Amino acid sequence: MAASGSSENQTINIMRSQEPNDDVSLSLKNEGEGSSEDRPEVETGGDWQRLAVISILYFTIRNFTNMAQGLIYAVPALAISFNIWDNLFSPQVLIGAGVLFLSTSGSGVISYLMYKFRVHNQHVEIHHGVFQRRYTNLPLWRIQNVKIERPFYYRPFGYALVVLDTAGSGKEEAKIVAVPESYAEALKKQVLYEKVQHIGDDVTGKSDEEMGDKDSSTQHSAKIDTAAASALTNEEVLNRRSVKDIIIHGITNNRVWIILGAAAPFYDDVFGVVSEWLANKGLQLNQIVGEQTVAWWQFGLYAFVVLMMIMALVALLSVGGALFTFYGYTLSRTGDRYIRRSGLLNKLEVSMRASRIQMITAKQDWLDKVLKRVNLYFEQNSTAGQQMQELMSPNKLIVPSVTEDEAFALSQEVMPGCDLRGQHYQTISRRFIRFWLLAAWTTPLIGIFVVGAVTSHLDIMIGAVSTFIIVTLLLTLRWWRWGIAYDNKYVYIRRGRVGVDYQCFEPYKAQQVIVKQSIFMKKRKLATIKFVLASGAVTVPFLPEEYVNKLADSVLYEVEATRKSWM
Amino acid sequence: MKTDTQQETVFSNNQLSVDEIPSFKTLALVPISKKYRALNIFSIGLIALALIGIITGLRFQRFWSLPDNLLLAYPYVVAGIVAIGGVWVLYHFFADVRIFYAIREQDISKQSGLIFRKLSCQPILRVQHVEVNRGPLDRWAGLASLQVFSAGGEMYTFEIPGLSLSRAEQLREFILAHKDIGAR
Repeated sequence: MAASGSSENQTINIMRSQEPNDDVSLSLKNEGEGSSEDRPEVETGGDWQRLAVISILYFTIRNFTNMAQGLIYAVPALAISFNIWDNLFSPQVLIGAGVLFLSTSGSGVISYLMYKFRVHNQHVEIHHGVFQRRYTNLPLWRIQNVKIERPFYYRPFGYALVVLDTAGSGKEEAKIVAVPESYAEALKKQVLYEKVQHIGDDVTGKSDEEMGDKDSSTQHSAKIDTAAASALTNEEVLNRRSVKDIIIHGITNNRVWIILGAAAPFYDDVFGVVSEWLANKGLQLNQIVGEQTVAWWQFGLYAFVVLMMIMALVALLSVGGALFTFYGYTLSRTGDRYIRRSGLLNKLEVSMRASRIQMITAKQDWLDKVLKRVNLYFEQNSTAGQQMQELMSPNKLIVPSVTEDEAFALSQEVMPGCDLRGQHYQTISRRFIRFWLLAAWTTPLIGIFVVGAVTSHLDIMIGAVSTFIIVTLLLTLRWWRWGIAYDNKYVYIRRGRVGVDYQCFEPYKAQQVIVKQSIFMKKRKLATIKFVLASGAVTVPFLPEEYVNKLADSVLYEVEATRKSWM
Repeated sequence: MKTDTQQETVFSNNQLSVDEIPSFKTLALVPISKKYRALNIFSIGLIALALIGIITGLRFQRFWSLPDNLLLAYPYVVAGIVAIGGVWVLYHFFADVRIFYAIREQDISKQSGLIFRKLSCQPILRVQHVEVNRGPLDRWAGLASLQVFSAGGEMYTFEIPGLSLSRAEQLREFILAHKDIGAR
C-alpha cells in the first residue's frame, strides 16, 4: 500500500538527492572501515536479511495475543454449542486445544520465515505477512520518527524492535522486529543523519548542484558531516523523572487503564466472577438491610469504607500503571530531536523532530494544582484514524508530572520565549454561560422539574434544581478560565473548569483558520475563532468580533508571509 | 522548486503596520451556482419519494399481512417523512444561497451557514492535495465540488460545493499552479 501510493514521490526524491547521497554513503563506508566497532554498517547490501531468531518469540507472543483476542468472542458460542465445560478434559477438546496451541506456536516460525528486510540504497525495504504479503519501502529521509522498543524478553539477549514512522497519514509505518541493539542505534543515527543531510540539501544543496562543481559538493557534504556528527554526539538530558515523580503521576492521573488494558483478554472471566460475588453479597446485604440488624449509619460507614478501599486499590493500580510506562523516564535532546525513553518491562524510546512539534499543552487537574504538578505534552501531527494509545504514541510526547518551574523551562526549551502564565489573556464573553444554559440545559431541566412538580416528587425537583446550579457553576468556571492571548510570536490558549490547561502554538503552523458567528452573536459583536493545526483544532468561543478578525488576519498573514514549513 | 522561487523574488521583510495586514473582512465573496439549491431540493424530494414509495409498497402489498399497529402508523410515518423533508428543504432553500467563496493570492475562503455563519480560510501554502468531486446528480446538473485537503485532517477538509465544472477545474488549476504547492 505504502509502496504503490508513494512511488512517484520517491522517484522525485531520489532524483533530487542522489548525488549527495552517494557521497555520503561512500564517506560512511570509509568511516566504517576505520572504526567498525563503534558504528556498525547500516546498509545491508542488496541481499535480503532475516531477523534474529529471537523474533520467533515476538511473533509467537503476538500471534497468541491476537488469537486470544479473537477467541474471546468465540468462546461463549463454543461453550454453548459443545457444552465444553462438562467434558473439559475429553480427548476432543484436548486435541483441539493442542492443535490450536501448536499451530499458533508454529505460526511464529512461519511469520519469522516469511519476513525479510534489507536496508539498501538509503531505503528500508520489508517483505512480510503470511497470507497477505506486504511490501514496504521507506526512504530513510522520509522517516520522521524512530521508536526503539525493548521487550523484556529481548533485553537479556541485547535485541531491539525498531518502529519507523513516516509523515504520511495512516499506517505507513515499518517494524523491523528483531535486530541487535547496536544495529538499532546505528539505524536511528543514520536516519537522523540522513535527516540533517537532507535538510542541508534543501537549504544549500541546490545552488551547489547548479554550479556543477564537484569540489563544492564534496565540501558541502563534509560540512554536513560535521554538523551531523556534532548533532549525534551531543545528547543532552533535559529532564528525568524519579520514582517519586512517577508515583505522584500515578496518583494524580488515572493510569488504571494501562493495567486494565493489558488484562483485556481476561475480562469475561473477571466479570463473571465479580458479578457472581456481587450477587452473593448483594443478597446478603439485602437481607441485612431488610432485617434491620444494622443501623443505617453503620451501613453508611460500611459503604464508605468499601468505597475508600476501592479508591485506594484504583490508585495503587494507577501507580503501578504509571511505573510500568514511565519508569526511568528521561527526555533528552540530540541535534534537532527530542528523545523520550521510559518503561519498566518494555523499554520504549520515542524520538521526535523539534520542528514537527505543533503545540505545547500543559495540563493541570485539580489534584495537580494542589501538588503543583503539570503534565506537559509536545504534540505532533495526529494522523487521522490512527488511534494510538496516548502515552505510547509518538505523536504526543508526554513529560509526566513535572513541577511548574520545570514545565516553564521545558516549554521555553521547545518554544523559546514562550510564557504560558505570563500572558494577559483575552477572556470570553459572559454570554457564553447564558448561551449554553439556554441552548442546552434550561429546557430539559425545566421539563424534569415540571414532571417532578406534577407527580409531586420532591427529590426529582431538588435534583433538577441542583443539576441546574451545578451546571451553571461549571459553565461559570469554564467561562472564567477560557481565554486567548497573542504576543506576536505565539498564540496562547487557556481553558479548563477546575483544572487548567494551557496551550501554545506558533501561528505560522496553522493549517486553516475558521471564524464562526451566529446571527445572535453578530448583534453582540462576538465571534468564535478556530485554528486547525496538524495536531488538531483549538477553539475559543465568544470573543469580541474585532479581536477575532484581527487575530485571524494576523495568523493568516503569519502563515502566508513567512512561508515557513509546518513540519 | 523552492530555490526557483527564492531566486525569482527578492527577499523582503519590511515592517508592516497592523492596518497593512490584509483583512479577510474585505473579501469579495462570490456566490456558488444557483443550480446547487435546486439540485439539493430535488434530491431531498427524490429521497422522500423513494422512502414513501417503499413504505407504501409495504403497506399495500398482498404477500403477507402486517400487524394492525403498523397499518395504523402508516399515515403518521408518511407525515413524518414529509415534515422532516420539508424542514430539510426549507433549510437548503435559505442556506444554500448563503454559500459564498473568495479567492485571494494566498488563500481561499468559504462562507456558509444559516444561523451559525462560518467563514473558513485555507492558505494555499498548506494545501496537500486538491480534488474535484462529482456525484451522479452533480454530473447531471453540470456541477462539481472542490475539495482541498490540508494536514489538519479529514474533518477539516475545505470543500466548496455547487461550483460549475469549469469553475471547479479553474480553481483546481489555480491552486495547483500556485508556486507554494510542493514547497510544503
